[in-house]
Amino acid sequence: MNIYKALVKREILEGKNGFIRVPLILSAIALAFLIFSAIGFGNVIYIDGMEREGIENVGDAVSILQEKEPEGLPLAVTMMYWFTTSLPWVALPFVIFFSLLGSLYEERRDRSILFWKSMPIADWQEVLIKLFVPIFIAPLIFLGVIIAAQLAVAIFMTIVVLFQGGPALEMLPLGYMITTWFAFLGHYLLGMLWMLPFLAWLLLVSAFSGRMPFLWAILPPGILVAIEGIFFKSASIAKWISIHLGGWRIMLEDKLGQVNPDTPREVFDIIVSGSLAASLSVTFSSIYFWTGLVIAAAFVYAAIEMRKRAI
Amino acid sequence: MTEYVVEAKGLGKTFGDFHALKHVDFKMPIGRIIGVIGANGAGKTTLLNAVLGLTTYEGDLKVLGHNPATERDALMKDVCFIADIATLPKWMKVSEVLDFVEEVHPRFDRKKAMTFLDRTNVPQNRKVRALSKGMTVQLHLAVVMSIEAKLLVLDEPTLGLDIIFRKQFYQSLLEEYFDEERTIVITTHQVEEIENILTDVMFIKDGEIVLESEMEELTQQFIEVMVDKGKEDEAMALKPIKNGVSFGKSTCVYKNVDRETLAKLGETRRLGLADIFVATMTGEGQ
Repeated sequence: MNIYKALVKREILEGKNGFIRVPLILSAIALAFLIFSAIGFGNVIYIDGMEREGIENVGDAVSILQEKEPEGLPLAVTMMYWFTTSLPWVALPFVIFFSLLGSLYEERRDRSILFWKSMPIADWQEVLIKLFVPIFIAPLIFLGVIIAAQLAVAIFMTIVVLFQGGPALEMLPLGYMITTWFAFLGHYLLGMLWMLPFLAWLLLVSAFSGRMPFLWAILPPGILVAIEGIFFKSASIAKWISIHLGGWRIMLEDKLGQVNPDTPREVFDIIVSGSLAASLSVTFSSIYFWTGLVIAAAFVYAAIEMRKRAI
Repeated sequence: MTEYVVEAKGLGKTFGDFHALKHVDFKMPIGRIIGVIGANGAGKTTLLNAVLGLTTYEGDLKVLGHNPATERDALMKDVCFIADIATLPKWMKVSEVLDFVEEVHPRFDRKKAMTFLDRTNVPQNRKVRALSKGMTVQLHLAVVMSIEAKLLVLDEPTLGLDIIFRKQFYQSLLEEYFDEERTIVITTHQVEEIENILTDVMFIKDGEIVLESEMEELTQQFIEVMVDKGKEDEAMALKPIKNGVSFGKSTCVYKNVDRETLAKLGETRRLGLADIFVATMTGEGQ
């Protein structure tokens, strides 16, 4: 018996389309694109802005790159894998949005709440799991699918380059790949913590709205922003919202200075180590961040209270 | 000393100006099958929802020692309910429903559930959405009967199902589930179908409990007489609560009149629960 395991499993089963099918299908599409383009690779390619003739395939291109940028090549390859496989990540915000918005709404609409409530599970457990799964479990599944896709791409590219006579092992920069997976997860989780007030708002909307939760999710914040703009001629709510939705990263400039990375190594370092540490310090010293968490906690509390009364 | 599963004192619930429950007192003893009977909107479901911790309320309520408003999750280890038909999640497969309950309910016996299900046509790999109404109820019932609970609450559990299924439903409830350690509370409109399995009844009208009685005691109180020709005046003198004519003979219904006295007037029979309910509700029986 494990209540939490069962609840997480239930959420994933219920959201199977968004949580599992979407990343699988999008990854398959991304992989198909990559494979077709690699097979059809032409004999002209731009490298360093200079047109070079005589490159007939990926193997040739990689060989030339290895000569010019021996250190940068594995980093560039790692980033190329990310670039070619990150399509599912574009869909993730939509999956999270609609999962949260439906989480406490659908069970009331189809009356299954009466079945869930006949089980010895507290309302706070149900509500927290419904917040936790889209925010933390869904991205893990997406990342897992992306990792699988990256490995597939890496193996495919290795084989292609091997047959084309290039430096095949350069196509398997596993150490860098693993590092970026963790770094990416770190950045992502931090971003989610910043967005928590909005995510908790969606949960609350799903707990109280009788119908049209979508409008409830969008309109009240929009109206608040408009009222402030019209009557107070200011935009502090809009600013607060935009900071939480990603604007907080601007504050990183104070820490890191203006960043204009040139080489793959610089980009890589910023993503993996530099900016993550800076992000953490910016985050934990920001009053915006902490007010966001307090507001999120209030929304979650309200959602739990609504769930207790819902039938 | 009688043990009680439910004890309510001054239990009340209002929706705006509407008093759905008017501060009622009642107790439900252990080892009984109690029928809660009332017209639509009388307050039956509100009362049961309060007992199950599904709604807020005023007054004191203890169910198996728990306060349902704050301890629903603990209470649900000992209480089962089917609050409506078709509340099982439609997107789940039958086997997934069983998996889920097995994981979260400490008193669920999967083997037992399988035994019940094997007797039905419910396919395990089908989604609940694809089951017929009857199959959905069979599945829900199989789940509920496989949970070792002390109190089972059924609110209109067979609404919209055909008569054969309804008969089987109550029969298996009585034969395979009920014992002296357990209490079952049922509401239904089809009073005739449950009257022979009930041990106790509770009549609700406009948010008040108008009658609480053991079934045996209640049915002894109400007697109908087919009055023999020529004895009509005598029959009317005994003040029937209701009279009418059927098959050319006048019939009179009496409450709390000695059976032997009535037997001299003509053929006597006990009144069915539905008739007792109607008599009580229309004020004739009070």
